[in-house]
Amino acid sequence: MAQIEQSDKGGKKKKGAQKKIPIHVDFTPMVDMNMLLITFFMLCTTMIKSQTLQITLPTNEKVDQTEMTQAKESEAITLIVDTERDADGNIKKDENGKPLNIVYYYEGKPEVTNETIDAASGLLTANKLQREAFVGNEGDIQRGIRKILHDRNAEVLKRIDVLKKDWREKKFSSNKDINDSIYQARAKEIRNDSTLTRPVVVIKATPQASWEGLIGALDEMQINQISRYQIDNMNNIDSLMVIDYVARHGKK
Amino acid sequence: MTAMSDVTVLLLTFFMLTSTFLQKEPVTVITPSSVSETKVPTANLASVLVSPEGKVFISIAGEADPNVAGGEWATEPIRKEALKNAIAEYNKNHSNKVSLTESELETFSKIGSFGVPLRDMKKFLNMSQTEQDKYISDMNNPGVGIPIDDNKDLQKPNEFQIWMRAIYSAGNENLQSQMKKGEGIAVKADKDTPYETVHNVLDNLQTLKMNRFSLMTALKTEQD
Repeated sequence: MAQIEQSDKGGKKKKGAQKKIPIHVDFTPMVDMNMLLITFFMLCTTMIKSQTLQITLPTNEKVDQTEMTQAKESEAITLIVDTERDADGNIKKDENGKPLNIVYYYEGKPEVTNETIDAASGLLTANKLQREAFVGNEGDIQRGIRKILHDRNAEVLKRIDVLKKDWREKKFSSNKDINDSIYQARAKEIRNDSTLTRPVVVIKATPQASWEGLIGALDEMQINQISRYQIDNMNNIDSLMVIDYVARHGKK
Repeated sequence: MTAMSDVTVLLLTFFMLTSTFLQKEPVTVITPSSVSETKVPTANLASVLVSPEGKVFISIAGEADPNVAGGEWATEPIRKEALKNAIAEYNKNHSNKVSLTESELETFSKIGSFGVPLRDMKKFLNMSQTEQDKYISDMNNPGVGIPIDDNKDLQKPNEFQIWMRAIYSAGNENLQSQMKKGEGIAVKADKDTPYETVHNVLDNLQTLKMNRFSLMTALKTEQD
């Protein structure tokens, strides 16, 4: 321990020799101070760095209708993110305490014209909008909107799964970094392979949709390896479809 | 006791060496989570913080190594330069000119995250630090947050647009290329913020043709 023992050899003490007291250093205040400093540093540091999602939005410049690349109708899927809020603007939670983020979606064109709007009620005669929730996997089974997107991008995902298996077994290279980069490059090739059926996703969000909902939708693109997606603004038809859906099926 | 003090000293050393201090921000936001594994860069970054009320704050970080090129491109000189650029641009379009002294510029370069209209900048910089913190954390004050609207005319930019351009022109080629690639602009917003509010900022960035940027998220905890 923190004391210095000074041996006192036997024998008679000389006259006038100093009395030898064992020296004892008390460490307690030092440890106290160290603990305080540790607490200070622990509270003030950020260990986890934030992650980022990279996105590219189109410029606001007007593009000629003819120059626009039109997505194939069979490939297009539109997601409309929405969040349930109460009168004060607070997000409603479900019974598990998760925020109620909802996503409406339709495939292809909205197919809303003047003829399909019911003049009396202002609602639609037919609405192809459907509603899903943001729920993750249950075991290996995709649920909610993830399942919809997963099924539409199945060809790509199947190939990526094969690739992933090779990557886990380090088939590309025994070096971890080289293995990773080869995997990333191949995965990118598959994601952008135009011979496969891949969906084109248009993400829209209602004004009251929470930021979390939108990020959730962008996240689904990453999870389902969808390479073609964009964020767009809501238009009249989209709003009408949502209102019509809520009128038909009620809120969640 | 000796063993314990050894351990505490070791831990202390560890924390001292690894720590990067939390950035002081006017509002604490909880970012939504994603599976993305790209980390936020700590250097050459202009990050835009959007409060749930729609107030906008910007913080600027320069080169990681403060001594590169004689320290010219470290965080503080870039902040100073950005403020000078922003004021020059502001004075072109506004009759009540803003002019700041060298010591006020110096004060500004020490501030991590700023968000006051340029006309209030002089008043703000002359406050003491505690007063500044108090002033900037009052979200109901109309004089807090960088003024932003849905202006599309870049001949008459709003203050947010002035700032983003000023930061771009104040940086060296590293900062500029990071901003072009989209890694140098980060948008941070609370997960409960309505999309309408964040969209306003995204729309402004689009108008500025800074249409590539990154969104700050936390790591997803659930197993996917």
